Amino acid sequence: MEDTGVHLRGVTKDFGAVQVIRGVDIDIERGQFAVFVGPSGCGKSTLLRMIAGLEETSGGKIIISDRDVTDFDPADRGVAMVFQSYALYPHLSVFENMAFSLRLAKRPKAEVKDKVVEAAQILQLTDHLDKKPSQLSGGQRQRVAIGRAIVRDPDVFLFDEPLSNLDAELRVAMRLELARLHQKLGATMIYVTHDQVEAMTLADVIFVLQGGYVQQSGAPLDLYDDPSNRFVAGFIGSPSMNFFNATVEDRTDTGIRARLEGQPDVAFDVDLTAPPDPGATVVLGMRPEHLVVTEGEGMRVTVDVAEELGGVSYQHGTLDGGDPVIFQQTGARHNMHGTVQTVTPQTDRIFAFTPEGDRIR
Amino acid sequence: MTAKQGRNIAFSALVLIAAAIWIFPLYWALTTSLRSENRIVSDAGVWIDELNFSAYIEVLSTSKLPIWYLNSVGTSLIITVIVLITGMMCAYALSQLRFPGRRLLYLVVVASFMVPVPALYVAQFVLMSDLGLVNSWWGIILPQLIVPVVVIVYKQFFDAIPKEMREAVLLDGGGEFTLLFKLYLPLNWGITAALAIITFISAWNNFFWPFLVVTSESMMTIPVGITQVNDSFGVFYARMMALALLAAAPVIIGYLIFQKRVTEAVMISAGVKG
Ligand SMILES: Nc1ncnc2c1ncn2[C@@H]1O[C@H](COP(=O)(O)OP(=O)(O)O)[C@@H](O)[C@H]1O
Ligand SMILES: [Mg+2]
Repeated sequence: MEDTGVHLRGVTKDFGAVQVIRGVDIDIERGQFAVFVGPSGCGKSTLLRMIAGLEETSGGKIIISDRDVTDFDPADRGVAMVFQSYALYPHLSVFENMAFSLRLAKRPKAEVKDKVVEAAQILQLTDHLDKKPSQLSGGQRQRVAIGRAIVRDPDVFLFDEPLSNLDAELRVAMRLELARLHQKLGATMIYVTHDQVEAMTLADVIFVLQGGYVQQSGAPLDLYDDPSNRFVAGFIGSPSMNFFNATVEDRTDTGIRARLEGQPDVAFDVDLTAPPDPGATVVLGMRPEHLVVTEGEGMRVTVDVAEELGGVSYQHGTLDGGDPVIFQQTGARHNMHGTVQTVTPQTDRIFAFTPEGDRIR
Repeated sequence: MTAKQGRNIAFSALVLIAAAIWIFPLYWALTTSLRSENRIVSDAGVWIDELNFSAYIEVLSTSKLPIWYLNSVGTSLIITVIVLITGMMCAYALSQLRFPGRRLLYLVVVASFMVPVPALYVAQFVLMSDLGLVNSWWGIILPQLIVPVVVIVYKQFFDAIPKEMREAVLLDGGGEFTLLFKLYLPLNWGITAALAIITFISAWNNFFWPFLVVTSESMMTIPVGITQVNDSFGVFYARMMALALLAAAPVIIGYLIFQKRVTEAVMISAGVKG
């Protein structure tokens, strides 16, 4: 069967002496919604622009729909891109913006009209076809940019932080619309964002980028449940995971017993198949939502800021030893500000990492 | 009356006086051109007291004014069109294409902007003469095609167009010509009009170069032609003024039509030359 996905093999990118992408292998199957996520400056846009052909590839291969497109011009790769700034043509109407590529390809007038009108219907732009981009709202401009991609009927849609110029409410609405659009069109989509919430909600498969490498890839919940290193563990999930230094005290039947360096009267059992030797330093990771308030025993946290969101609240504080801690409270209404709370992680919800940041399983 | 109103009135008065001083020579030319030659030297007053069109009739029937018009319009138009097209393309290359020596080339353009044009006249005259172009339209046109300010202005405007717009066109399947003629140029019609106006006006007003390169009366442009009248008529003020007004008329009418654009154009070129 023909493989129409996107595949990167050992792709690298140098800007002068700086290597921004250091060897990336990526497999995206046809029809998947893939998200590249990572902190600002990690090279997400660069990688996307390399797939689009807007940035030359320094090493490795890019394969789209079974063709090695590494040296192809952008227009010949079967991709369409939606830019963060939308990059609409300001002197052309909405209709002509969407029709631009078809006109360049010298398609018959009737076909141009059909395709543009169809895209406009999908995107609810039918009433705005004669307007100039400057007469549209941010969300409408965004849709025109998407429409311009749709009419080209590409194998792959590329999005570079398309929602970051919209206000919070519209961002959520457009996020849903994008998810619907993906279902409707069934095309492969690659979406770049630094916002892990967007990544989690939209993606079939997430690629976490950092330091020029893919740190981990997989389904959103797999990354959440089973991060392969400290970076991914900290990046996926909101608020971020708590990390505490601890010392391996002993091996147990199923793993280790580790004592917190910040608060030596507390120790936790962690299940591990490859436990480190006693005396070794490990980093324990616990998500805010997995810390439960336990009266009298556990980790003592002095709460200094309480974020009340209504349904849940996030308590920010410090551990006895000075480590910062965040824990989540559901339903509790009493103000914890300034109090000392004791919290304990749920069993089997403790992750262990080496001091270098690798996951110990 | 408030202090502010007072200031406004004083300011308006000042502007009116300045305008009157500025327009007086033009008015004087008009009154002079409407008198008989004899009265001008005997008892000329300030007011228009005679409507004598004989100077105009004389000038139009004895001089080569229609041909000079044609020469002026023809050469100025050709200069404007070629300067804009070449300047735009040069600016596009300097602004958007990546090729070795690009920065150096731009420096050369900017540096050539520092060279006073009259300094080149001798060399250009020799060149035109070697090419056999003395007394021809192309002899008038060629040296006037070097207008670095057009390149510099276009480049600044092209530089300001977001990179992503360019990339959108590339993804849509466009090449460099599509980019230039469907994106960069349409986004800069205003500046194109402004540059066309200043180029046209400076070509129309250019006196010294056409004066050097043309000796045959039938190849002269209007500014050069005016001096010719002076020679052959002796000192006939009415005819000189009539000719000068006829020569200036198209520019004045053009200015009245494109007033806003001309102001814009002058400001832009002043900003660059500034
Ligand atoms: N054209 C360029 N020349 C030099 N460095 C660049 C260029 N484009 C991007 N970079 C660098 O590459 C790194 C990754 O950039 P980018 O891909 O835009 O990051 P992200 O989109 O993840 O925020 C940054 O450090 C940036 O400074
Ligand atoms: Mg980016």
